[in-house]
Amino acid sequence: MVRFKSRYLLCEVCVEDRSSLLLLEERSIYQAVKAAVARAHGDYGSALLILSFAVKYVNAHTGVILIRCRKSHYRILWSALPFISCLENRGQKVPCSINCLHVGGTIRTCQKFLVKYSTQQLHRMLPHCNTEAERGEVRRAVLSCSLEKEQDVEEEEAEEEWDDE
Amino acid sequence: MVCRMATFMDLNINFTKDKKTLQNIIETAAHLGYSTVAINYTLESQQKKPEIPKPTSISDLFDKLPVVQGRSRPIRVLNRLTVVATDPSHFRPTTEYKAFDLVAVLPKTEKLFHAACMTFEVDIICVTVTEKQPFHFKRAPVNGAIDRGVFFEIVYTPAIRDSTMRRYTIGNSLGLMETCKGKGVILSSGAERPLELRGPYDIANLGIVFGLSEGDAKAAVSTNCRSVVINGETRTTAFGIIRTMKKPQPAPTSSEEKEDGREIPASKRVKMEH
Repeated sequence: MVRFKSRYLLCEVCVEDRSSLLLLEERSIYQAVKAAVARAHGDYGSALLILSFAVKYVNAHTGVILIRCRKSHYRILWSALPFISCLENRGQKVPCSINCLHVGGTIRTCQKFLVKYSTQQLHRMLPHCNTEAERGEVRRAVLSCSLEKEQDVEEEEAEEEWDDE
Repeated sequence: MVCRMATFMDLNINFTKDKKTLQNIIETAAHLGYSTVAINYTLESQQKKPEIPKPTSISDLFDKLPVVQGRSRPIRVLNRLTVVATDPSHFRPTTEYKAFDLVAVLPKTEKLFHAACMTFEVDIICVTVTEKQPFHFKRAPVNGAIDRGVFFEIVYTPAIRDSTMRRYTIGNSLGLMETCKGKGVILSSGAERPLELRGPYDIANLGIVFGLSEGDAKAAVSTNCRSVVINGETRTTAFGIIRTMKKPQPAPTSSEEKEDGREIPASKRVKMEH
């Protein structure tokens, strides 16, 4: 049995207004990516997406999404991502941009990268903390970043405590 | 993918009078991983007597420049001037041009394109992306420009905004790639808002769509941009070795002194001797 090889694209959705990030849903990303690939690569692009395209993970608090597609045409999907300028969710249009962080062959490698990236982001947040309590929280979050055997996804959701201004 | 080796640069961020927008754009660029950005002042030569805009000093914008994602240094901000030229008399390298770190020209006619490639003292030649190219690229001036160290720039933000622009951008850039074979090209945003910026690896991927090969596309965002910045620096020096700098003290000093404050290693100094 030939194994179906996939590529997982780990991306980050950048928005101006953090509160509108909370509306992020798998469906809206799915529609937006499908539309962008259809616009950029036409019927050929849409046909490629029918084969194996799915949004595997969406984190509404940090804006991290994980997209899966076939190894043979992940570049075509990747090249259409910069053309996405807004996401639509229940009639509301949110202007955004998608930034690809990592391309991995398995979900596990993407998770390992996400843990390292999240620690980096927390380190970057440290100078901006105003109170000692916030700083303590960030330091605790950094120390608790790790990859465990099960409950991986929940672990990452727990360590992402963004302090909004 | 957060690579520690290559430095990415975005050499075209449109200048807006709104300080907050400019700050946001530069912060987003630092977040995405760009080590250097250049603020672009466009000079339209339609008026009778065009006023050359004065570049704002960077300390006006930021007290503390944001740190680049994945590195420990703050982002570097340069100033750049683009002259939109329809007539050879529009481009006059005066002392005001020296205030900018980079100078670019956007030629609108074939004659001007030829002159810009061979003789003008510019660092970057912009390729029109918003309309059909009025002239074809000929191999002779393009190769002459590459030999001189002048790079061709393709802006990608119009392609993101509008579908018709996308066709023009891809068509014009494919035409350029046919003639230059992928050498001497840089890709940059013409961002006016922070959401129009894209990450460097995404842009390298876009470069493949625009006709570049994989290695050339990555070079277009990293090493070629670095060459442009270094070329811009040599414009202010004599033969690339000696630079004059104004010393802040009131005591009378000689006008020519060796590099002060900005250390350039010996290997680069040798390379800059034209």
